[in-house]
Amino acid sequence: MFSINIVGLGIGIASCLVITLYVIDELSYDKYNKKADEIVNVVFRAKINGEEIKEGAVMAPVGETLKQEFPEVLDATRIRSIGMPKVTVENQSYRDNKFAFVDANFFNVFTLPIIEGNPRSALQEPNTAVITKAESEKFFGVGDAIGKSFFLEGQEQPFRVTGIIEEVPQNSHFHFDIFASIEGLDEAKSTSWFGGDFFTYLLLKKGSNYKDLESKLAHLPEKYMGPMMQEAMGVSFDDFTKENKLGFRVFPLTDIHLYSDNSPYSQLEQGGDIKYVYIFSAIALFMLLIACINFMNLSTATAAKRAKEVGIRKVLGSNKNQLLYQFLSESFIATLIAMLFAAILVIVSLPYYNELSGKELQLDFLWEPFVVLALLLLTFFISLLAGGYPAFFLSSFKPITALKNKFIGGNNNKGVRSGLVVFQFVVSAGLILATLVVNQQMQYIQNKDIGYEREQLLVLRDAYLLGNDRDVLKNELLKNPKVTSITNSASIPAGSTDNYMSQVYVDGEFSRRMPVYNIDENYIQTMGMELVAGRNFSKQFGTDSTNVIINQTAAKVLGFGNDAIGKIVTDGGGDHKVVGVVKDFHFKSLHQSIDPLFLFYRPFGGLIIKANSADMSGLIADANTLWNGFGSDETFGYTLLDDSYRQTYVAEQKMGTVLNVFALLTILVACLGLFGLVTFTAEQRFKEIGIRKVLGSSVTEIMTMLSKDFLKLIFISFFIAFPLGYYLMKKWLESFAYRIEMQWWLFVLAALATLLIALGTIGWKSFKAATMNPIKALKDE
Amino acid sequence: MLLQLNNIFKWVNSGGQRIFLLKDINLEVEEGEFISVMGPSGSGKSTLLNVIGMLDNFDEGEYNFLHESVHTLKEKHRANLYKEYIGFVFQSYHLLDDLTVKENLEMPLLYKKFKGSERKAMVADMLDRFNIVGKKDLFPAQLSGGQQQLVGVARALIANPKLILADEPTGNLNSQQSEEIMGLFRKLNEEDGVTIIQVTHSEQNAAYGSRVINLLDGRQV
Repeated sequence: MFSINIVGLGIGIASCLVITLYVIDELSYDKYNKKADEIVNVVFRAKINGEEIKEGAVMAPVGETLKQEFPEVLDATRIRSIGMPKVTVENQSYRDNKFAFVDANFFNVFTLPIIEGNPRSALQEPNTAVITKAESEKFFGVGDAIGKSFFLEGQEQPFRVTGIIEEVPQNSHFHFDIFASIEGLDEAKSTSWFGGDFFTYLLLKKGSNYKDLESKLAHLPEKYMGPMMQEAMGVSFDDFTKENKLGFRVFPLTDIHLYSDNSPYSQLEQGGDIKYVYIFSAIALFMLLIACINFMNLSTATAAKRAKEVGIRKVLGSNKNQLLYQFLSESFIATLIAMLFAAILVIVSLPYYNELSGKELQLDFLWEPFVVLALLLLTFFISLLAGGYPAFFLSSFKPITALKNKFIGGNNNKGVRSGLVVFQFVVSAGLILATLVVNQQMQYIQNKDIGYEREQLLVLRDAYLLGNDRDVLKNELLKNPKVTSITNSASIPAGSTDNYMSQVYVDGEFSRRMPVYNIDENYIQTMGMELVAGRNFSKQFGTDSTNVIINQTAAKVLGFGNDAIGKIVTDGGGDHKVVGVVKDFHFKSLHQSIDPLFLFYRPFGGLIIKANSADMSGLIADANTLWNGFGSDETFGYTLLDDSYRQTYVAEQKMGTVLNVFALLTILVACLGLFGLVTFTAEQRFKEIGIRKVLGSSVTEIMTMLSKDFLKLIFISFFIAFPLGYYLMKKWLESFAYRIEMQWWLFVLAALATLLIALGTIGWKSFKAATMNPIKALKDE
Repeated sequence: MLLQLNNIFKWVNSGGQRIFLLKDINLEVEEGEFISVMGPSGSGKSTLLNVIGMLDNFDEGEYNFLHESVHTLKEKHRANLYKEYIGFVFQSYHLLDDLTVKENLEMPLLYKKFKGSERKAMVADMLDRFNIVGKKDLFPAQLSGGQQQLVGVARALIANPKLILADEPTGNLNSQQSEEIMGLFRKLNEEDGVTIIQVTHSEQNAAYGSRVINLLDGRQV
């Protein structure tokens, strides 16, 4: 009982610490910046013709304009991310560097100290770059990299390294390896308020409220976008905003990670979610509570057994203070052992946790003075509560009463104990339910008909880098018996893709922005998509380059109904005739509903290959051999579309795994507590069990008697856990546009699982109690 | 014959030595007997009673109870046997503290699967017979020791056992209470024909019985 108690407390505190590390890490994002509280992010929000637009990036002139207009804006800086382009250093090319263009004042706003080079002038000139230390070593080896240069694909002028920084901290909302000067970028000088891709940050005057600034931004759209709207669309701003809404919003820097909209357009990297921070904080708190209360409860319960010991000690001459000291120090040592056990658990398990959760949590936090102090205080507190009862109550016993063992401890706390069991099983059953729902939703995502067949698709995204050899590669691969078909397209419905939006007009009126897919005549067939009306693109029709295929949603949004074929739509490239309607397929995550989509006949980009068997390794090897045969200095790279699809949900998958683990641990701690309580009850009712057995009770009847009360409490806990769980999981599911319905059997399953676990815990102990020899209990002393 | 013990041995091993608790016990009990088991502390009186009551095992020998060979029976059958034929009375009564007198009496009947109406009748009958109708809703703690033991005896009798085993039934009682209980035993034995085996220290109590068995260090003397 003693060791169970310590193990339970240790596991509880260890889990609580690990979760606390996670929560602290999530809350620490971007706080490494000295001016973190004064930096804000300007984002664009709009609702146009029913389309909700949430973009983290804004137009090029926004930052500078705000700096001019509002005195509280001290500075504005921009990031233009271009993903992971090819970078060449002395004939060696790399494609694994996150590359961004930033304003020259970037390093004044963000605290990323330049450790080599001149911090003031680092990015003043075009074609200069600041790179991380690791990057510098990768490119140029160990030694001074300042003044050395590299090439960016598509640009003739090399970039000169003018500064080196340390790695961007892990808890940052961006992690670029190369920060190039934005000076040479033409789009950065654009004055258009109609489109742009600049993540824009403002440095505010200390003490100014970002909400005030946000409210002052209301006039910006009319002032700057109005004239352009009139010119480009022939609509006045007032008319346009009668049915549509648009405006700018301001986010504090430190909110970006947890509060950003989780769509690819609204943030530089996949962020966290404040919901998960809440969920895990609650789990940590419950865990700590359950573990501590169990520990105190069990210590108190077992102490009752020591009444006799107290009697003997008193008869032998121990005084009250000595007993007090004895009980308190015993309790303190036990708690301290549990704490040390917890610390060891955290240290040992953190690497595994990091692997599971994809985090890089560090232990440093644990050694902060206030954390150590808090843990010590907790130790004192728990040991006082756990040891206080026996210390103060038992030690005041008259020795004769104590010796006679008349005292039956803890009956008066029955209500408290029942409440505790209910609380533990509310948490346990709730977590089991949550785990089931999350797993069910993940299953659903894996198995949902997403409108195309993502299996056996090999993606050679970089094939365009081979130039004309790409078509040679394609033709060679087509001869390979492992290949079913090949399409030439840069548009891929999962994973990173070249995605651009087109402004679409019907009958001269602006309708919507729509993403555009550029495909060839083999795309629909290769991807396993389905045409519901009209025809596919074909080489036989010379005019297909101006035609368009739309998806079902587009047909609906544009008001074509089932009659889309032959309709004319217009975008920046002119008029297009609709020749086909493709069945809706998911090209964004299932968090979002399907957007309207245009597919144009413009074959370019890489190759997507459909294999005829599930074993892709042979095909990959063949493609690699062919690729190397071209003697290109481009390295062969591939992705499997199925993997990319799964990657989309990696955050949820990880959350699910972590939830599974902590649900398991919480249940384990709760079970240890329950086990202790059953043991205690069995001991308390030892004599009663003996009497009942002598009077003819069977083993089953005794076991039922011992379990019945607990089972009742567990049933009560279901009535609290399930409505609560239903509500919370519904909230979680609502973040998916495509989601499961919580079926009744999920609740039954959760209830059965909880019951089974509880019965398993109670069963052994009550069996032992029920099969004991009754004369042991009935000895007349 | 009600029961028969043939060459019963019971021992425990302690420090490589075999310590005998019962040594070669032979005993025949006819229905309607009233036997007293006597002997100093540690002579094996309670152990013998527990063996007869089938609450404890023995290591060697044969035990026949109403033509059943107890030593060959499985635990469960043995339990059924004593459940049906034996009632127990204890020195410290062993009533359940959180049950009333009525509920304490009813408990053995619950385990013997009597119907609700039958139980009610049997409990009422017993309360009547022992003159404790007025006490039926009291808890044991509200009764005197003698009254508690009265309830203890009533509980042992309620399911009409053939044999009552009483382990120092008057050990916690004063002399007047003792006489009442012993008088009750005699009445049950003589008028109702209940077989009684009691363990006692008192010559006076032993005199109520028809036969005395003396034990010393686990041996009949």
